[in-house]
Amino acid sequence: MSLEEQVMLFIMIVFPLYLLSFTLYIIRAIKGPTIPDTVLAIDALSFDIAAFLALLSILYRSPILISCAVVLALWVYALDIYVSKYFEARDMGD
Amino acid sequence: MLEIFTLSLLTLFAITSVVAAYLAIRERDLVKAVVYSAIQSAMYALIYYVLMAPDIVLVYIPVSVGLIPAVLLFVIKKTERYEGD
Amino acid sequence: MYINEIVVYIGEILVAIGVFCDLAASIGMLRFPNFYVRLHAATVGTIGGAFVPLIGIALIALGAEWLGTYRFFLAGASIITAIIIIILAPVGSHVLARATHRARLVKVEPKVVDHLEEDIKKKEGDENA
Repeated sequence: MSLEEQVMLFIMIVFPLYLLSFTLYIIRAIKGPTIPDTVLAIDALSFDIAAFLALLSILYRSPILISCAVVLALWVYALDIYVSKYFEARDMGD
Repeated sequence: MLEIFTLSLLTLFAITSVVAAYLAIRERDLVKAVVYSAIQSAMYALIYYVLMAPDIVLVYIPVSVGLIPAVLLFVIKKTERYEGD
Repeated sequence: MYINEIVVYIGEILVAIGVFCDLAASIGMLRFPNFYVRLHAATVGTIGGAFVPLIGIALIALGAEWLGTYRFFLAGASIITAIIIIILAPVGSHVLARATHRARLVKVEPKVVDHLEEDIKKKEGDENA
């Protein structure tokens, strides 16, 4: 078995485990009792999806696709900041 | 094998986007609705990625996850949080 | 030379560790009782589940010769994403926890001592007096 086939087989084995953990994160994001639970679940889900997209670009043999992972990891952080700024401003009476 | 995995990925993302869009429409708390719509648009961006359109993803993520929740939360802060009937 | 094989195997071990951390974090995120306990699962999910496999993917891409010259682009972008994640993820969860505590959205349930709440109460008492 060459190195290429071995790496492809490894990624194929890892793939369903990632799908399972994404499903669990999505369940928590959808049914989270309060808003911070949902935002925290989206945060963790998106950072894991950024790692998963890098894995997919090896699987599809097109390294150009990696640039989306940088953008996703940068912009999901902005959602955190917006939501927490909304809550803090409401608490301070501003 | 690769086709089956890709189709299962697309199915997961599409079902999640449909559920999140339904919840965003039904929700009475508008901040929660904004967060649900962020889930929905992030899932659309991943569908674009799997369908091999990375240039659309590069534009869609900053607009849908970055700009639209910022503008909507600013508007909600200026007005009311709960939707009346 | 076996240098490519060695680099790829090290990368695969790191990706396997990342998958384990990811599964553990998602189960914890579903099973833990409230928001402040779920912050622990989120830390495991971001540092263990995203930072470690991205370093592993960079190593795999350096050893994968069938990807052509662009594999160096893949490796560099993976390392940049890993550095971004290890800077931004703790800041994001910390900001979210601080806002949640100050706005009193979630009750601090398994509590031994909460100095931040006592300080806020003392400050409000001073302002009222």
